[in-house]
Amino acid sequence: MAEREPVIGIDLGTTNSVVAFMQDGTPTVIRNRASTNLTPSVVALSKTGKMLVGQIAKRQAITNATDTVYAAKRLIGRKFSAPQTQDGVKSLSYQVSAGQHDDIRIQLGDKHYSVPEISAMVLRELKLDAEAFFGKPVRKAVITVPAYFNDGQRQATKDAGRIAGLEVLRIINEPTAAALAYGFGKSVNGKIAVFDLGGGTFDVSVLDVSSGVFDVIATGGDTYLGGEDFDNRLIEWLVFDFAKENGIDLRKDRMALQRLKDSSEKAKIELSSAKEAQINLPFISSPPGGGAALHLQKTLTREKFEELCGDLIARTITICEQVLNDAKVKSTDLKEMILVGGMTRVPKVVEAVKQFFRRDPCKGVHPDEVVALGAAVQADALTSADSEVVLLDVTPQSLGVAVAGGYVRRLIPRNTTVPTSVTEIFNTSKDEQTTVKIMVLQGEAEVAHQNELLGEFILTGLRSARRGEVEIDVTFEINSEGIVSVSARDRETGLQQSIQVTASGGLTEEELKRIMEEQADLLLEARTGEELQSRKLELKGLMKEVEDLMPELDKATQGSEFGQEAISKAKAALENARRAFESPVLSKVTESMDVLTRTVSLFKGVLERIK
Amino acid sequence: MPEAEKVDIPEERQREILAIEAKLGANHFEVLGVPAGASKEDVRDAFHALSRRFHPDRFHGKELGSFRARIDTIFKRLVEANNVLTDPDKRQAYLDANPFVRAAIRAATGSTPAHQPEAPRSAEDDARDAERRARLSRHPYLARSSKVFEQLHKARAHIAKGEFSHAFTMLNLAAQIDPQNAEVKALLPEVRKKAELLRSETDYKRALTALEQGNDDLALQALRAAVNASASNAQAALKAAQLLEQRGGDVKEISSFAQKAVDAAPTNVEARVLLGRMLEQGGMKALAKKHFEEAARLGPDHPEVKKHVKKRWPF
Ligand SMILES: Nc1ncnc2c1ncn2[C@@H]1O[C@H](COP(=O)(O)OP(=O)(O)OP(=O)(O)O)[C@@H](O)[C@H]1O
Ligand SMILES: [Mg+2]
Repeated sequence: MAEREPVIGIDLGTTNSVVAFMQDGTPTVIRNRASTNLTPSVVALSKTGKMLVGQIAKRQAITNATDTVYAAKRLIGRKFSAPQTQDGVKSLSYQVSAGQHDDIRIQLGDKHYSVPEISAMVLRELKLDAEAFFGKPVRKAVITVPAYFNDGQRQATKDAGRIAGLEVLRIINEPTAAALAYGFGKSVNGKIAVFDLGGGTFDVSVLDVSSGVFDVIATGGDTYLGGEDFDNRLIEWLVFDFAKENGIDLRKDRMALQRLKDSSEKAKIELSSAKEAQINLPFISSPPGGGAALHLQKTLTREKFEELCGDLIARTITICEQVLNDAKVKSTDLKEMILVGGMTRVPKVVEAVKQFFRRDPCKGVHPDEVVALGAAVQADALTSADSEVVLLDVTPQSLGVAVAGGYVRRLIPRNTTVPTSVTEIFNTSKDEQTTVKIMVLQGEAEVAHQNELLGEFILTGLRSARRGEVEIDVTFEINSEGIVSVSARDRETGLQQSIQVTASGGLTEEELKRIMEEQADLLLEARTGEELQSRKLELKGLMKEVEDLMPELDKATQGSEFGQEAISKAKAALENARRAFESPVLSKVTESMDVLTRTVSLFKGVLERIK
Repeated sequence: MPEAEKVDIPEERQREILAIEAKLGANHFEVLGVPAGASKEDVRDAFHALSRRFHPDRFHGKELGSFRARIDTIFKRLVEANNVLTDPDKRQAYLDANPFVRAAIRAATGSTPAHQPEAPRSAEDDARDAERRARLSRHPYLARSSKVFEQLHKARAHIAKGEFSHAFTMLNLAAQIDPQNAEVKALLPEVRKKAELLRSETDYKRALTALEQGNDDLALQALRAAVNASASNAQAALKAAQLLEQRGGDVKEISSFAQKAVDAAPTNVEARVLLGRMLEQGGMKALAKKHFEEAARLGPDHPEVKKHVKKRWPF
């Protein structure tokens, strides 16, 4: 038997990335060529024109601020004009600009890179580390993403893998991966929660685990909440006080900004074990009018830190509440609570989590490595015949279509186990509407424009008819690869249109709102008047039944007076039914149905007796 | 095994998959293989055990052929059954809408006699039933489930008469009222398929008449409609491909029809040969070869197959 091809699991983190594999049935981290487990997710173009990745890139960040890219994951799959991007670029020391499609471009030297290209450089580095370890090429990988990443962010991450020359076997969720690594090889049985606060993102998931089956029940998070945000709070605090004293905004100076960032993170980390941290930045700036250089020197207490960041921690707890709710689980039902991510070393975070879940978090899980180890477990499970592990993951955010009035009709609710598919019938929303636009949305907001637009397509050539008469089947499908595809089909002609959703990154709320307004005429109508609609169809069925029975009855009663009377009554009832059919009033329709039901049973009774 | 297909799954597993597929129309408890009324925990355990065997990931990277769709369907159905039975609200609603399942629970837990032999039904029984249904349908609490029942009843009557498009309408109505109803869900796809096939067959007949009258254009139009209406109408797809070929039509379109014919009837030698020929013309030699070989295996005596096989692979 040929030796099995190596497959790896990669945790592509905001701050650090890790690669792991399955070694004789035990998930194991592969050290990088610098002999450390964590590779900083930093890419830089050195002054000599060399592309640097990892620790070496991180080390020269301060002296090469504008050409050092970090936290690219905060940008992946987003639009340039998205609020998070706009908010984020303020505190970035490298240059970011808008590409042709409102995508984000990152400048290194005189070249502009897409975000997946930058992430690919980190992935390629990890791939090379793995190849150095195995001594042979590595092609296949499972890559993790935050559970709360939307479809666009997942697609962009997959693209990054492809650019790096990897066949991405699967994109899996970070908290799920953590649970896999935790539960692998143990006889865990019961519900567990994973709380993952990393450098850029926050996730929480609840899983039901039983002998090898990892069944995700609910998941939630925020893809823009992590260590970076804590660091930024500290930077703001430093900058604000400095501006008050010296009238200088340090953020305008990219090198100063990079130093601020560096020392803020250091102080934050120090405060995990110490009560106080010194921030010491000599020669941080020189006054515009000349004069002696300015220094920044401050003491940050743990108390102050907790005050500056208290609301960020509170946000994680709010999300935990919602997820437990979704999972229909009480904290006391949980068997175990796992902390993942470097930020869970912050004492205040641990305290808040303990208080909320009312239990001590599980020991013996390495918060930095556990995600990559889980990715390795899944990579192995997918490629080996005898694996005992099965992952039942869910879709983190709801999927639906935009409907007339600017709302969303949800077809797949969040926390639905994948693969899944749903078909629902929609109607045209205007008279003579021969074209419908299917706008695929992801998110929880009721109003369409507050969701993420994943993609759109048009179904044309519909029969010209009155509003609501043309029926369209809309099918949403999430396959086992987690890829969303949507199709629409004219039920009458069988005409079909479909897309695989590939659009990356969202439009701003404003843009989407404008689009919705412009295209109001092309939207679908959900069957909100469902009751009315379905009753009308029933009424139609009854009308047909009566019409069909009439000649039969006529023949059977052979022109008798009784027969004639029954028939003329039925005719009147039919006339009435036709009017009811056109009316939007439900009671008219049901009344008419009652009359016709009686007519039908009368007719049938008569026919039965005569036959 | 319905057809010999090249699939990278051990035959025993294939049989297992076909067996569970065959019972997907049953109620949620039966689908999961637990006794009617089983507890939430038992349901979950059964779901996990079945997931371990039938989750699509268990077949990752394998050549699955028609089994891919089967496995996806099976897993989705398992998820549905688990979702309904482990959520108290959904379970309640499901039982409300499906009195026969509730009866099964009663039977299983022994509180009522298991099953009574049915007396032959009389017309009176039917009338009484109809009356009872009508009365129930006006009762606000029962309106929903009895409506579904009624639609189902009508649908079954239509099915019995072979009126699948009517039956489809009725089932759709029922599905709108109670999307979780297992019976409706089980019947819908099958009936849809039959309705489509029926429509397709009508178009096909129209095409044959047109051909007799020498009106090729009309025939082609009807054939296109027939193929559009149902992917299972192999005859129509093959005829369309043949007609187009006669008329020197576009190779791509001919292949596409031929491919559909092969998909719908994998053992049809004519369709295989035609598809092979078209692929060959289109420059896809390797694929073409595959189909010729398959054709040779299926019908070694087919004159054209003989010709081709001899011409290309003189062994
Ligand atoms: N001892 C510590 N105390 C406080 N914060 C820490 C400590 N160690 C690491 N961190 C912070 O944790 C974050 C990095 O965590 P981690 O490596 O888990 O993130 P990541 O996986 O790269 O990001 P993400 O999962 O969000 O994509 C950084 O913000 C870092 O400053
Ligand atoms: Mg992480």
